[in-house]
Amino acid sequence: MQKNNKITPLGFRDYLFEESEALNEINSRLMRLFSHRGFHQVVTPTLEFLDVFALDGEQMPVEKMYKLCDNRGRLLVLRPDITMPIARLAATRLKDEQLPLRLCYTESVYNSNYSLHGHRDEITQSGVELLGAQGKRADLEILVLAAQSLSRCGANDFKIEIGHAGVFKSLIGELDEDEQTIETIRSLIETKCYAALDDVLLGLKNQKVAKILKRLPHLFGGEDVLSEAKELCGDICGDALSYLGDIFSSLKELGLKDNIYLDLGLVHSNTYYTGVLFRGYIAGSGITVLSGGRYDELLSKFGVNMAAIGFAVQNDAMAEILLQSGQISKTTAPDMLVFAEKGYELKALNYCDSLANQGKTVESSVFDTFEESVEYAKKRGIKRIVTVAEQTSNLEI
Amino acid sequence: MRRLRLALTKGRLEKKSVELFEKMGLDCSEIINKGRRLILPVGDYDAVLAKAADVITYVEHGVCDIGIVGKDTIAESSGEFYEVMDLEIGKCNFALATKKGTDFFGGYNVKRVATKYPAVASAYFESKGMDVQIIKIEGSVELAPLLELTDAIVDIVETGSTLKENGLEVVETIMPISARVIVNVASLKLRKAEIEDFLKALEDAKKK
Repeated sequence: MQKNNKITPLGFRDYLFEESEALNEINSRLMRLFSHRGFHQVVTPTLEFLDVFALDGEQMPVEKMYKLCDNRGRLLVLRPDITMPIARLAATRLKDEQLPLRLCYTESVYNSNYSLHGHRDEITQSGVELLGAQGKRADLEILVLAAQSLSRCGANDFKIEIGHAGVFKSLIGELDEDEQTIETIRSLIETKCYAALDDVLLGLKNQKVAKILKRLPHLFGGEDVLSEAKELCGDICGDALSYLGDIFSSLKELGLKDNIYLDLGLVHSNTYYTGVLFRGYIAGSGITVLSGGRYDELLSKFGVNMAAIGFAVQNDAMAEILLQSGQISKTTAPDMLVFAEKGYELKALNYCDSLANQGKTVESSVFDTFEESVEYAKKRGIKRIVTVAEQTSNLEI
Repeated sequence: MRRLRLALTKGRLEKKSVELFEKMGLDCSEIINKGRRLILPVGDYDAVLAKAADVITYVEHGVCDIGIVGKDTIAESSGEFYEVMDLEIGKCNFALATKKGTDFFGGYNVKRVATKYPAVASAYFESKGMDVQIIKIEGSVELAPLLELTDAIVDIVETGSTLKENGLEVVETIMPISARVIVNVASLKLRKAEIEDFLKALEDAKKK
């Protein structure tokens, strides 16, 4: 049998030098931002019980999770999402703490993607969850933090689109259709698949609502979207719409006018969202780099009533943009190479330490002769060799 | 910012796509006389010609913003993108076909089905709750039942004349197919105005 001992599994990869530096830079910029806003880091395990992600009425696609068994035959998964483990944590160990809880994280998540599409199965996400707080203050705080996350990562040209889970929920509440039909409608709206959506909607009993659903994926843009929606919907989802209008104008006042959009066709496949939901995009990346929303009912599935809102950033995509922008330099040679004459090896190590403490980058030469050290320095592009003997001397190359 | 990039499916849909672009008033001379260049200017846009499945890949990754590709390829592959328009060109159907006079759904034996589209075929039989053995064939699928490798085929049927010539007939139509316009998820949000203008012009050209 062929041994796969020289390659990584499909969807996984090594991060070398500037790649890992860029990812670390993104991770730390985001965590710094979150911690300055009073969020505290939590680390959840890489493996969780499948049950955490397979709650009643909350369908996460089990077929896309990496699964294994514990020693009692129970199903474990590599976490496909971090919101669920955080909900588990908040509903158990943190349930008696003073609310609200401000939690943040930087972790890998795992999803088994369709093969050969060039997607990664292991990605790093940083995010926040604000638990035990409802209402506009909390929503605005998180939306603004989402915008800041993108700009903090170096994205000048970014957009955040905002929708409301209540819009779709109240519309389908008016329909008398089975779950399958509703899921079909949802996914066609999500993918803005106009033609197929029209066909499905023609078959609905309630043509008044069908007419609104038909327009829903088209309703993205500025405030004009809201006025059209209000006209269409009448009072079916009036609350959600006026709330969105309120949020939108507050965000405009905060100077985010050019970065925000409304998208009433934003209907997440994650059914746990109950209020505002949003996604972020940046120029240079073809994927959704940020996504989040309010999920007030999720914690009740873990036995605790706690309102919550949060988002996650796709750090790998942000790191790629950072790399392309040239802000991360290719791994460079150290400032100097320290060579010890025979008998002065310990002195040289001390000398390296003192240079490192001054903020220099130094390599200690592993070669026995000065000539070999010079040869090596030339090949590596090191500009200066320090020889440590009774006295130290410098050679510029 | 770079120009909007269009990914067009080579071959059958290419000519019809170009006709639509010309109706939109775009200068398509570079596509018609393409020479060896791979990225071709079309009016204010850049176009690439690619195999159908690659059109989806390029759009999904956002290296092309807009793609024109058949519903057959969309149904067979998967991915995240917006499917915003039915161009109503290149119309045909996915269908299940057998040798004339075969009772495909009768009996308890597990049937064998040849297809170039295993994902479409699997989904179809799964939705029927039916166990079948699917065999992927790369070339002329019609050959498989004639050689008695399989009981049926799932394939694209345009006029049905190839089937007829080989003594096959359609048992059931699975889904209608036509060319679709797909758009990258991030592009539609980041370059909304430009993309909407393009789509509007295309919609108008479609009606001409």
